[in-house]
Amino acid sequence: MPKATIRNSIRRLRFEHGEMTQQELADRAGCTRQTIIVLEQERYVPSLLLAFKIAKAFGTTVDAIFTLQEA
Amino acid sequence: MALILWIIAAFVFAFGAFYFPVRWAQRRLPPIALPPGESMPVTALQRLAWRTLIAVLLLTLAAAAVVVYSGVEAWWEKDAVRLTATGLLMAALIVFALYMSRVWRWMARDGGALDERDRAILVAAPAGQGPAMLVTLAAWMIGLVETHQSTHMIHSAFLYLIFWSCVMVSVLAQLAGVLVGYRRS
Repeated sequence: MPKATIRNSIRRLRFEHGEMTQQELADRAGCTRQTIIVLEQERYVPSLLLAFKIAKAFGTTVDAIFTLQEA
Repeated sequence: MALILWIIAAFVFAFGAFYFPVRWAQRRLPPIALPPGESMPVTALQRLAWRTLIAVLLLTLAAAAVVVYSGVEAWWEKDAVRLTATGLLMAALIVFALYMSRVWRWMARDGGALDERDRAILVAAPAGQGPAMLVTLAAWMIGLVETHQSTHMIHSAFLYLIFWSCVMVSVLAQLAGVLVGYRRS
């Protein structure tokens, strides 16, 4: 089965939202700043729950942030 | 003296079992790029695991030092040796129990100090305990056979030492598993 990866645009969205800090986003999404860092670096794939919380923090939808990239 | 080296080798091998899987996992991940002068923030669980690991390791090494310094024969001959070593190991277990109770309290509370990544790391942390204990047992087996092969007899105190070393390696491996988990994702 071909390997797929989840890409995200959290970093870009943070800067588009008044240069929101990682800590601010972490507080809004209910996670640690370290989790936001590894998410931005695409080393960690969040659960659906966290994905929705991040989308809510940016006032957008999950698919506007996370996209599936087929290998 | 050869047996002391085997005990040290057991600990080294048990923790070495973590090293290569972690390096292998890290190679597959993109490197973390942080702004210059900024380091990765430490989570509450990571900080607690580090502190507990250091405390448990120091108490375990102190207990090992007592046994090594006094000699294994002193385990039954001198009550002070047995009680001191056991006391140090029990203290290490109490430190670990305090760590676990804090973690359980955090896990029970929604929106507390732990997020989903912390919880996933906690769930995966015990994966290294089994291999670490097996390596420890193997080191004891080889060490005891090599040093007592000629007499075909070992001191009964070794049964206690084997038990305690497995318990402590298991505890240390669990704590190391948490810290390794943060480096693997």
